[in-house]
Amino acid sequence: MNRLHPRIRVVWAAKAAVTAAVLAVLVLAVDRLAVDLPVWVPPAVFVALLVGGVGLSLLRYRVWRYEVREDALYLERGVFTRVRTVVPFVRIQHVDSSRGPLERVVGLASTVVYTAGSRGADVTVPGLTPDGADDLRERLKRLAIRAEGEDAV
Amino acid sequence: MSRALSPLSVPYRVVERGGSLVFTAIILFSGASAAFGPAGGLVGLVLVGLALLALVAYEVTYYRRFEYDLGGDTLDIRSGVVSRRNREIPVRRVQNVDISRNVVQRLLGIAAVDFETAGGSETEAALRFVDFEEAKRLQRDIGRLKRATGEGGEAAAGDEYDAPATDELFALSPRELALVGALSFDVRIPGLLFVLLSGSVPAMSSLVPAGTAPALAAVGLVAAAFVVLLVSWLGGAAAAVLNYYDFRLTQVEDELQYERGLLRRYDGSIPLDKVQTLTVVDDPLKRYFGYASLRIETAGYAPGESGSEAAVPLAARERVFTLANRIESVGSPTFERPPKRVRRRYAIRYLLPLGAVVALLYGVDLLAPASLPWPPYAPALLGPLVPVAAHYKWRHRGYWLGDDHVVTRNGFLRRRIKIVPYYRIQTVIDSRTLFQRRWDVATVTADTAGSLSLVGNDAAAVDVDDAVADGLRDDLAARLRASLAAERGWVEDSGAVDTPDDAGGTPS
Repeated sequence: MNRLHPRIRVVWAAKAAVTAAVLAVLVLAVDRLAVDLPVWVPPAVFVALLVGGVGLSLLRYRVWRYEVREDALYLERGVFTRVRTVVPFVRIQHVDSSRGPLERVVGLASTVVYTAGSRGADVTVPGLTPDGADDLRERLKRLAIRAEGEDAV
Repeated sequence: MSRALSPLSVPYRVVERGGSLVFTAIILFSGASAAFGPAGGLVGLVLVGLALLALVAYEVTYYRRFEYDLGGDTLDIRSGVVSRRNREIPVRRVQNVDISRNVVQRLLGIAAVDFETAGGSETEAALRFVDFEEAKRLQRDIGRLKRATGEGGEAAAGDEYDAPATDELFALSPRELALVGALSFDVRIPGLLFVLLSGSVPAMSSLVPAGTAPALAAVGLVAAAFVVLLVSWLGGAAAAVLNYYDFRLTQVEDELQYERGLLRRYDGSIPLDKVQTLTVVDDPLKRYFGYASLRIETAGYAPGESGSEAAVPLAARERVFTLANRIESVGSPTFERPPKRVRRRYAIRYLLPLGAVVALLYGVDLLAPASLPWPPYAPALLGPLVPVAAHYKWRHRGYWLGDDHVVTRNGFLRRRIKIVPYYRIQTVIDSRTLFQRRWDVATVTADTAGSLSLVGNDAAAVDVDDAVADGLRDDLAARLRASLAAERGWVEDSGAVDTPDDAGGTPS
């Protein structure tokens, strides 16, 4: 089982920080425009959300696993609800590798696998090195082509 | 050889669209004539006349510039008045051909035809309108061409062909139609009525003389609730009868065709090889009387459309399972229930909200004493029902792995038995919430490309034991592979080629 790149924690923590900041600003706006809240509330909201978010990021990193098996891609993730997904190669429609702005800053990339399913229609493996993401994409593509006969939904 | 729409579609479309145009125009210009006197009204009349002329010209052009052609392996449609669009749809990709006719269209002998393919959120092609005969021919020919191209042969639309063997699978008897009506309850109506009525409550309450006993108010409330129930029931019954009047399902070679509807007649085809899942639905009432309904899902429809109404609304349970077995030979499932300990989990799940309500009522009682019509612990009287409800929830859960299908069963009030062929599974998802992990149980979902599953109605084995879930996850994926190989006629040699370590990179 492969784990993600440890630096993915930075990406997730930064995302949590952004969310916390946005919500804190929202609380600040409510404070100014509508109800008078005590002075310490907006910073407290920020700190609480930040601590919670960063904690979640660390836990999420500890849980995340993926593996390219003989005939399926296997993922394991989720802090509260533990989700294990099996994506058979025959079902892969196409594969992307992508790099968001935050990922670019820390030098990471993701691979996204698409199926025709309704629920797990796109499955993302984050926290890969750019080369790793491209490799995974190529490898999954090859495996999908080999497993795939003729597509008929 | 390209064909045109029915000439009758021109007047029909003009009236259809012109009606609303004239209506809005009348509203607009009655205002204008009031402002500018009779002259204003005259100008309005002229403008409406011009708009109508433009509409007629548009519809005539639309008719003249619309042509379609069902060739060897594609359906070509060239259309558009201002911007032109040429569309080619491979016949093999067409999932459903639906014909619908309302009363006026039936009198004129024309029909609307919709072609659905998988993917895409809207209907891929629509003909507004062609002769009914032509619509039926298209439906037939598409089915036939699909078979021909499927076998690798070439076929042209005009070829001679033997009338395909048709086989009536199911027809709704009048008695069953009456039952469908009686058992249909439109759950949307209470909400709608509530919204409508809540506006009139202040007005109503002013009518009630002050100081009337609360008993009278209570009687009024009960009466209102009764009326709402009655209206919902009647509404549901009327809708069901209009929808399912003279419902029949026939099998034409490897296609299912259905017909239904009283005022608006629907006429659709479902290729058997596009069926994704079958769902048998019932509720306690239907179970008691031994009835059930069947829905057939394809990947062709957008969610929220009436795609799954190509289903048997109501029939005796044996008939439903016989029919399901003709479409997908499942055999008779023997369900594996979740471990008994989950009954305690359900009981706790029901007790928690009950406790919360009681606590809330106590809170209310504390803040405003004697404002409640009943003592705050009243909901606790429902407590004895909790174990019963938990037991029934457990009883009606289960899953079964057949030779070619996975069958899951969930729900007590609305029980769904989902039949999924292994080769239709897209991904297998095993999820365990925090609470499920406390009880060592898991939910294993077999995701398909069906249309209804967008709202989360996938086939799922809920609350199975951890170890079972681990096995089920791998088992389903393995069975998918084997079943797909058999379905597509692959030689099972991939195991030899597929060495576990692909990291080395085999040339592709």
